[in-house]
Amino acid sequence: MTIKVRFFARFRELLGTDIVVTAQEGTHLLGLVKKIAEKSREGYDAIFDAKGEFREFVIVMQNGRRVETATAGSTPVTDGDEIAVFPPVAGG
Amino acid sequence: MIAIQTGDVDIGALITGAKKKGTGAIVVFDGVVRDDDIREMELEAYEEVAVPELEKIAAEAQAAYHLLSLDIIHRIGRLAIGENILVIVVSAGHRKEAYEGSRFIIEAIKAGVPIWKKELSRNGDRWVLGEHPHGQKPKV
Repeated sequence: MTIKVRFFARFRELLGTDIVVTAQEGTHLLGLVKKIAEKSREGYDAIFDAKGEFREFVIVMQNGRRVETATAGSTPVTDGDEIAVFPPVAGG
Repeated sequence: MIAIQTGDVDIGALITGAKKKGTGAIVVFDGVVRDDDIREMELEAYEEVAVPELEKIAAEAQAAYHLLSLDIIHRIGRLAIGENILVIVVSAGHRKEAYEGSRFIIEAIKAGVPIWKKELSRNGDRWVLGEHPHGQKPKV
């Protein structure tokens, strides 16, 4: 299955964006993002803590809907999903 | 009008358009790039989510504060000092609803709409930290 991952703001600068990946059935959101982030040490450290969990302030969306990062390890991704990962918003 | 755009905003035209039947007050919020010893500001949005979020905020504000008209225009791209970042124009029958509706909208945008700002200066660039970590609800 094919998944698109989009990073924004500082995460985009460190890891790029609109990354299309092929994932196996049964892949979970946490593992998918972690695998992509591992290409940049700085990018990985910006998003994940020492235990390999999403940092508290990181926001994750699946098809435009917020996903609780605490449950990302058990949230499956499905074909055609768009996953977005970004730091706290600062518009206005 | 609800929009995220690179171009500037004709605030005068929005004020004219806000004068609906029954209007007694129009409140304009114009957020501009502040001269914090920076050269420019760069703004980025997750537009596919940000626009529906703005529309949702607009609908909530319209219902809660009985607004007669409402415009929210947020700019993205590179902006110089003094340029408009965010323009909110609301009209209502009375000033109380117009002021409160405008305040509700700006606080809701800051709390949860996926838009980010980066300050570009001679001493390096810096992403502006959000006021609401992890999308906490604002206290208005």
